Amino acid sequence: MASNESIIGRTTRVRGRVTGAVDLLVLGFVDGEIAVSGDVTVDAHGLVGASVQGRRLVVRGAVKGDLLGEEAVVLEDGARVVGDVRAPRVAIAAGALVRGYVETGEGNGAPARASRSEAAARPAAQARVAPPPQASRPSPGGPAGKPAPAIHVAGGGGSSANNSGHGRAAARRPPPPVVPALKKAKGQIAKKKER
Amino acid sequence: MASTVIGAGITVEGEITTDEDVVVSGTVRGKLSAKEAVTIEHGATVEADVTGGSLVVAGSLTGNVVANERVDLQQGARVIGNVKAARVTIADGAQFKGNVDMDV
Repeated sequence: MASNESIIGRTTRVRGRVTGAVDLLVLGFVDGEIAVSGDVTVDAHGLVGASVQGRRLVVRGAVKGDLLGEEAVVLEDGARVVGDVRAPRVAIAAGALVRGYVETGEGNGAPARASRSEAAARPAAQARVAPPPQASRPSPGGPAGKPAPAIHVAGGGGSSANNSGHGRAAARRPPPPVVPALKKAKGQIAKKKER
Repeated sequence: MASTVIGAGITVEGEITTDEDVVVSGTVRGKLSAKEAVTIEHGATVEADVTGGSLVVAGSLTGNVVANERVDLQQGARVIGNVKAARVTIADGAQFKGNVDMDV
């Protein structure tokens, strides 16, 4: 039993890299990258401060880093993840908190995984870092769709998959021109004058 | 029952600190400090300075050792480094190269 599974105990702190070919159970702290070919379980009290790579990742604790599962990533109740999640199958249970880009599907666990959709969606997911150019009202000269997804991402606390969806929808429909807004404003002013 | 197990096939490069028991069957490079018992099993490779309450070595250890209670080098152990503990035993068949300091 002990030979098949490695355990980072509750009060144990590992600073550095953990690699190997067996299963790993994290009850304590790992301030470093985990890359094993077996399963990785981060318990409710477990905390990992860097990326985690494994066959099947089960998270009930906290991870600040990317999760890359060859088979699956399961984020259970109580999981707190800040980072990107990639696996053929990703399960996020109610009560799990995620901030980052999530991508499911075949080939995500493989090293060569730069698909076109990923390349297109990534800027939207990372747009929250960049300041949105001329935030709320685009000038009539430049009704580009690009600022709109940035606003959605900055405002929304939801999953990034939804954000990228918003971005595509906004790109198809450019924001309404300024003219109607001016008409409305004029109408309001007129009404006020009438009163 | 050990709380932290570095299993066979696992490599830790870095620093491990813990208040619990540690069993190493795999590889540790860097530093290993525990407050309770540390066991380095047969087949394990530790290239690190080790501190602990007590230490049992049956595998390969390269590094300096400080234990609060005792250090036992079992048969088949291969230790290169200085050992500092109140009680030190070296079993017949253990390989050892280094200084022993028993707080005399």
